[in-house]
Amino acid sequence: MTDLSGGRIRVEARRALARWDLELHNVRSPILRYGFSVACAAIAFGLALTLQYYRFRDVEVPVFTLSIAITTWYAGVGPSVLAVLLSMVLFDYFFTEPLHSFEISIRELPYFFIFATWGIIVASFAAVRRRIEDSLRGAQEELAKRAAELEAANKELEAFTYSVSHDLRAPLRHVLGYAELLQKQSSSILDDKARRYMAMILEASKRMGSLIDDLLGFSRIGRAEARKTAVNLDLLVREVIAELGQDTKDRDIGWTIGALPVCYGDRSMLKLVLTNLLSNAVKFTRIRPRPKIEIGCADGKDNQVEVFVTDNGAGFDMQYVNKLFGVFQRLHRAEEFEGTGIGLATVQRIIHRHGGTVRAEGAVDQGATFYFSLPKR
Amino acid sequence: MDTLGRILMVEDDPNDVELTLTALEEYNLANEVVVTRDGQEALDYLYCRGQFSARASDNPAVLLLDLKLPKVDGLEVLHQIKSDDRLKMIPVVVLTSSREERDMMRSYQLGVNAYVVKPVDFHEFVNAVRELGVFWAVINQPPPGSARKEL
Repeated sequence: MTDLSGGRIRVEARRALARWDLELHNVRSPILRYGFSVACAAIAFGLALTLQYYRFRDVEVPVFTLSIAITTWYAGVGPSVLAVLLSMVLFDYFFTEPLHSFEISIRELPYFFIFATWGIIVASFAAVRRRIEDSLRGAQEELAKRAAELEAANKELEAFTYSVSHDLRAPLRHVLGYAELLQKQSSSILDDKARRYMAMILEASKRMGSLIDDLLGFSRIGRAEARKTAVNLDLLVREVIAELGQDTKDRDIGWTIGALPVCYGDRSMLKLVLTNLLSNAVKFTRIRPRPKIEIGCADGKDNQVEVFVTDNGAGFDMQYVNKLFGVFQRLHRAEEFEGTGIGLATVQRIIHRHGGTVRAEGAVDQGATFYFSLPKR
Repeated sequence: MDTLGRILMVEDDPNDVELTLTALEEYNLANEVVVTRDGQEALDYLYCRGQFSARASDNPAVLLLDLKLPKVDGLEVLHQIKSDDRLKMIPVVVLTSSREERDMMRSYQLGVNAYVVKPVDFHEFVNAVRELGVFWAVINQPPPGSARKEL
């Protein structure tokens, strides 16, 4: 706990220091920058005098070089030259023999050289820093631009699904409505062929309605926020099977439910995953006299749980396995098995949003197995 | 004694108007329906302005409101009604194609009395409209000052 708060204080302090550093770097007014240079030199001078008073020897040079370094780092090249000159003058006048005179002897030239070289070294570091900062700023601006573009694209997509929801449904409702009315008004005068056409119109419109609903539901999953909690998969599977009871009550399905772990995810989304997988299994085992469906947990890799749903139903050709999870992709004809082809796409989308993966194995007429993995924590 | 409350329908799509009226007619609920074609016209009716300046100033027993409307949209009409002391007692039922949670949330926040998504299936649509009509125009006791006809 203390370690943590200590760390936090350190981080806070570092952040404050960085902010201060940045503030100083952003000072652009020449008066302030040259003033900073003079102030640094004055402080260094005062410090050197004080130290000398307390009989510290030969401290003037390090103190002045430090002041030059600080000036160069924060205030730039012009103030740096000023700092070097000021340091030189002060050093010459107060700290070299003969004291209190501007006489320059050959012995003092190396000091002048040290001050100037030091200024140049720090200035080149400052230049490197500035270049890095500039490229960082460029990258940041680029990133901000990209984020804005993404947001705009997202908004557009949202507006698109919104208008699909509003505008595509209305004409469809009208087609259905008028076709129903027509059927009611004139079914007595229509012959068999015409009645069949009417039935086709109605059926096709209803199908389009469910396709639109499915597509909207699918896009909603992408936009909805996932509220992750610990989910007991065992309970969830039993709940889903109970809800499927309507479709399974007059069929003798052999359910096998293995031990299922607790995993971490959005409960309602995971329920949708299981509903899709289990109702698929129920649907595709319809052709079997003794349908068998098994749900269990396979050995998952590091920190993942892998759940499988296997059935002895119609299966599929492994050649088309990569089409299985696509939107509106179907591997069976509509007359054989009904459905819009959105179920497995929904499963994949939800599992991917949870950071897991999906896969499937199967063979024609040999049943199919669907796997999905989820993070444990 | 049975009475029939007046239904104010706000709907811009003529097909929807016809289908809704057909559904109401089947159950003899269409006699007291007033149709307005956009939000502006609906507000004109409620405030007895413009072409409705001559009507008696009673409120409808229920308002069937579409959300996507030309000029003033449904949510604005709803907002206007629910922030007016005289109008806010009128029960408002949103009858829309939109299943969007955003619309639903906004409508309920503004104080809508019911939110019904128009079913795509015609039988379900007829059922929904009939039940709405029966409930709001016959069963429900509207607030005092609502227009109703004795049967």
